[in-house]
Amino acid sequence: MQQVLIITLEALRASRLNEPEKLASFVLGTCRMTVLDIRRGTRRRERILATYGGDLYPSSSGWEPRLDHERLTRCVQGLKERERSVVVMTFFDEHTGAAVAEFLGVSEANVRVIRHRAIHQLRNCLGVTA
Amino acid sequence: MSCATPLDAAVLADYWLGMLSQPEEEALEEHLFTCDDCSTRLSEMMALAEELRKLANEGSLRMIVNERFLECAAAKGMTARQYAPPRGGKVDCTVTLNDDLLIGRLAADFSESRRIDLAICDGEGIERMRMTDIPFRPGEGTLLLHESITRAKAAPSEVMIARILAVDDSGERLVGEYTFNHTRTIP
Repeated sequence: MQQVLIITLEALRASRLNEPEKLASFVLGTCRMTVLDIRRGTRRRERILATYGGDLYPSSSGWEPRLDHERLTRCVQGLKERERSVVVMTFFDEHTGAAVAEFLGVSEANVRVIRHRAIHQLRNCLGVTA
Repeated sequence: MSCATPLDAAVLADYWLGMLSQPEEEALEEHLFTCDDCSTRLSEMMALAEELRKLANEGSLRMIVNERFLECAAAKGMTARQYAPPRGGKVDCTVTLNDDLLIGRLAADFSESRRIDLAICDGEGIERMRMTDIPFRPGEGTLLLHESITRAKAAPSEVMIARILAVDDSGERLVGEYTFNHTRTIP
């Protein structure tokens, strides 16, 4: 609710909403987009965590040693520049493919290819088998 | 692994990031609910995602970022120490224990460039490492160098020179040089 209010106020201050009769539709549309954002982010994460969270960091799976922090740092630093930027920006704050594509000046499909290649390289570097 | 059609790790990452279409999600979830192997792979991917997020939060990587990255960091309450030496000039700099990120703003004209490298040199101007084919946008005119704050906090007083180089078939040319005079202030 607060987020929708802020977006609406910003739009009003920026004079993007000059026609009062369109205010309700703008607010409703913003509500819908906000809810969709939440659904695609937090709720999915909560749902998956509830289902699979018990398996996170299993004590005897052998995954923990492969996620050695220093090793992961070296692996990430060993990626190509664009791959590193894509991976870190994607996981740091869930930059969308479109946002990363704009940053790199390439298509979203290319970003996807770069991201996939980087993830496979990280897994190889960490010693995770396919 | 005994799954006959294992889900690709990168696709599982896309799923975790919410980057799949609804039909793709549903198909993937249908498989996950019946496949222990792929559920384990998803758990591994989630752990990797979490570690990557932690790594980014530490500010310990050297890489190129954009303004949005800094906005996200600010929204998380992170403190970014930023320096913007003029092209061909110097800046005195330091870091404190309270800083979370260290950013160098390198202004230059990239409009004619197809590939940009960033050479990191010592105080003598000797190249110590090179960031090859870094991401840049010709229209923006400023590179945001995310330097390792972990390293900077541990480093003695020293000079670092960053050189932006435009690279093409005919060789490379200097686009800009920036000198950072780092003074250690952390005891």
